[in-house]
Amino acid sequence: MPAILEVENLVKKFGDFEAVKGASFTVEEGEVFGLLGPNGAGKTTTISMLTGILEPTSGTARIGGHDLRKEPDEIKKINGLVPQDLALYPTLSARTNVSFFGSIYGLRGKELKERVEDVLRIVALTDRADGVVEKFSGGMKRRVNIAAGLVHQPRLLFLDEPTVGVDPQSRNQIFESVLRLNRERGMTIIYTSHYMEEVEHLCNRVAIIDGGRIIAMDTIKNLINILGGGVIYFGVPRVDNALLQEMAGLGGVQEATLVPREPAPPPSPGQEVKAETQLAAGETIKIVARQSQQAVLNVINLLNERDLALTSLEILQPNLESVFLHLTGKKLRE
Amino acid sequence: MNAWHIALKDLRIFFKDRDVALQLFLLPLLFIFVYSGAISAITSGGQQDTRIQLPVVDLDAGPSAQTLLRELDEAGGVKVELHDEAEALPLLKEGKLGRVLTIPAGFTAGIAAGQQQVLRLVSHPDADPEKTEAVRLVVQGVVRDMSLEAQILASLQQMADMQADAPAAVREAFSIERLSAQARSQFERSQIEPLIRLVQKVPGQDVEREKDPDMSQASVPGFAVLFIFLTAQATARSIYDEKKVGSFRRLLAAPIAKLALLAGKILPNFLIALVQMAVILAFGVLGLRLLGMTPVPLGGDPLALLLAIVLIALCSSAFGLVIAALARTESQIGGLSAVVLWSMGMLGGSLIPVFMLDRLLGPVPKVIPHYWANRALTNVMLRGLRLADVTVELAALAAFAALFFVIGLLRFDFD
Repeated sequence: MPAILEVENLVKKFGDFEAVKGASFTVEEGEVFGLLGPNGAGKTTTISMLTGILEPTSGTARIGGHDLRKEPDEIKKINGLVPQDLALYPTLSARTNVSFFGSIYGLRGKELKERVEDVLRIVALTDRADGVVEKFSGGMKRRVNIAAGLVHQPRLLFLDEPTVGVDPQSRNQIFESVLRLNRERGMTIIYTSHYMEEVEHLCNRVAIIDGGRIIAMDTIKNLINILGGGVIYFGVPRVDNALLQEMAGLGGVQEATLVPREPAPPPSPGQEVKAETQLAAGETIKIVARQSQQAVLNVINLLNERDLALTSLEILQPNLESVFLHLTGKKLRE
Repeated sequence: MNAWHIALKDLRIFFKDRDVALQLFLLPLLFIFVYSGAISAITSGGQQDTRIQLPVVDLDAGPSAQTLLRELDEAGGVKVELHDEAEALPLLKEGKLGRVLTIPAGFTAGIAAGQQQVLRLVSHPDADPEKTEAVRLVVQGVVRDMSLEAQILASLQQMADMQADAPAAVREAFSIERLSAQARSQFERSQIEPLIRLVQKVPGQDVEREKDPDMSQASVPGFAVLFIFLTAQATARSIYDEKKVGSFRRLLAAPIAKLALLAGKILPNFLIALVQMAVILAFGVLGLRLLGMTPVPLGGDPLALLLAIVLIALCSSAFGLVIAALARTESQIGGLSAVVLWSMGMLGGSLIPVFMLDRLLGPVPKVIPHYWANRALTNVMLRGLRLADVTVELAALAAFAALFFVIGLLRFDFD
C-alpha cells in the first residue's frame, strides 16, 4: 500500500516549550493508525499541525503526495478532522451542523443532502437528525461530531480522542463506525487516545508518544512482544547486583532490573519514622518474563533460598498499558 | 462563498437567541421612545414662551395699530397681551403688571395724515429695568420701521402731487398707486433680504453657529449609532464561542482562507446593523408619529444617508474584530463592550447630541467613531445636508473602519 501520510522530523514549539520533538512516522493508505499517549504527550499538537491548524516550527509532512507547507489547501481537502472538543453549534440541529460543515468543504445541493443523510446513517442518528444538539446526550453529541468530520468523505480522517466522556453503548457505536469506514470505504484513520483498549481494538499500528517524542512505533503485536510473557514486580527488603544477575538467569525470566526508588517525602516536624514505614520502603525488582508462571515460581524459590521475605507482588499482563509502563516508567493515565 | 456560508450559519444562531435579538432591536426603540418623550417634555416645557410679556392697551384699534401689534409680536423678544385700559392701569399700579404700552386713539388716522404719534410705555417702579429696556428697544425698532415706511409713502404722495401738471402718460406711468405699491414691495423685501445683514459673532468662535436640531429628534440617530456599535460585541462573542467549543479549529482545518473565515464572522454584524438601522429609522419616522411624538426626518439625500449607514455598519463590524482580537475571556468581552462601547457612545454624541458636545468637550469626541457617525446622520437627516456637505464625516468613518480592520487582523489570534 502506498503511504498517504509521511511525517518527517516535525517540531512544534510554544515559546521555550517544545510540545512535539521531531515526530517522524508513515501511515499507509487504508490503515488505522493509533497515536497512544497520556494527556499532554503531544498527540493533539501533532494532529493540529497535520490538519493545518498550527504551523510547524520545523520539519515537514506530505499528505496524499502534497507538501504540508506548500499546498495546505490541497491537504485540507484530503483531511477530515474530528476534534477532541465537541466542535458543534449547540443551538442548531444535528442535520444543520453536519450540512454546514459539508458546505464549507464545497458540497452543494443534492450532493450535500445525500452526503449528510449518508453520514447521519453511519453514526446511527437519522431518526434524531432534526433534534437540537444541545438536547443530545454526550454520546449522541460525539456521534454528530464524527459525522461533521466525515461529511466531505475525507481520504484521511483524524479522530482525536473521540470517545472522551462517552457511555459504553455509544463507545461501541463509535468503534463500529470507525471500523466500517475503514473496511467498507477504505478510509485511512489516525486515531489518538489515552485508552490502550481502544487502540488495541481498532488500530493496526501504533506510535506511543510521551513528552512530545515518539518512543515506540510498531504493530500492536510487536509492541507487546517487547514484554514477552509480561512484567512482574517483586517487593523485597533488600537487593544486590548478584541477586539481580542470578534472577536474570532463571528459567522463564528475560530481564531483571531494580526499579529506581522514588525519594520519600521528608517527615514533617515532630513526626516519628515508624518501623512499618521503614520496612515498606524496601526495594522493587522488575522482571520481564518470557513465561510469567515459570518466572514467578523460580523467583520466589530463589528468594526463599536467600531467606528474603516477599513484601509485594504485582503481575502485569502483556498489553499496551504495560508496554507504556515498561518504556516510560509511568502509567498511561497518570 | 465560504464566508457567506459561515455568515448564514451565524445568523441562524443569532436569531435563535431571542434575548440578543430583543436587546439589539427592541431596546433601541425603547430608549428612543423614552428619551424622545422625556426631551420633548423638557424642551416643550422650556419653550413655554420665554418672551417678555408686554401688556398693551389699544385705544385706536385701527389697521395701523393692528400692524404695530402684529409686528411687535413677530419681532421676537416680547409677547403682546391686550388689556382694557380700565383693567390694565390698576394692575400696573399694584405691580402685577411690570409695564404697559398704550396706543393712543386716532393712531391710524394720525399716521395716515402724517402726524407724529406718541406711544406711551409706562413701567412700575419695581419692574425689572433690563426687561423694560429690552421692551423699549423692541418697540423702538418696530416703530422706526413703521415710521420709515410711512415717511417714504408720504414723500411719494408729495411727489405725485407735484406731478399734477405733468402729461397724462407720465402721470399714468408714475401714479401714486404704482409708486406706493413699488415702495411697499421694496420695503417688505428689505425686511426679508436686507442689503446689509448683521451677524452676531462671539470672540474666539470662527464659524457662524449652525442651527441646532430638535433634541428629541437627535435621539434617533444617536441611539441608532449607539446600538449599531453595540452589535460589535455580538461578533466578538460569536468568535469567542466558536473558539471555546472548538469549532473554530474545525474551520481552520477546512479549506477556507483565513480572511474569508473572518469575513464570514463579521458579515452577520454588518447585515444585522443594516437591519437594525432600518428598524430604528422606520420607528423614528412612523413609530414616533403613531405615538404622537415628533417624527424624525430622513433628510433630502437618500444616497448620503445610505452611505452613512453602510459606513457606520462597516465601522461597527470592524470594531467587533478588534474586540475579538483583544479580549481573551468572555468577561473581557462583556467588560470591553460595557465600558468601551457605552463610553464611546456617550463621548461620541449618542446620549448627548453632537451639537452640544462640540461646545462641551471641544475636540475630544473627534477621536471617537461614534462622533463622526452621529455627525453624519444628524447632518443628513436633521439638518438636511447633502452628500457633498458630509464628505468629511464619511471619510472619517471609512478611515476608522480601515484602522479597525488593520488592528483586528494584526492582533487576531488564530491559534
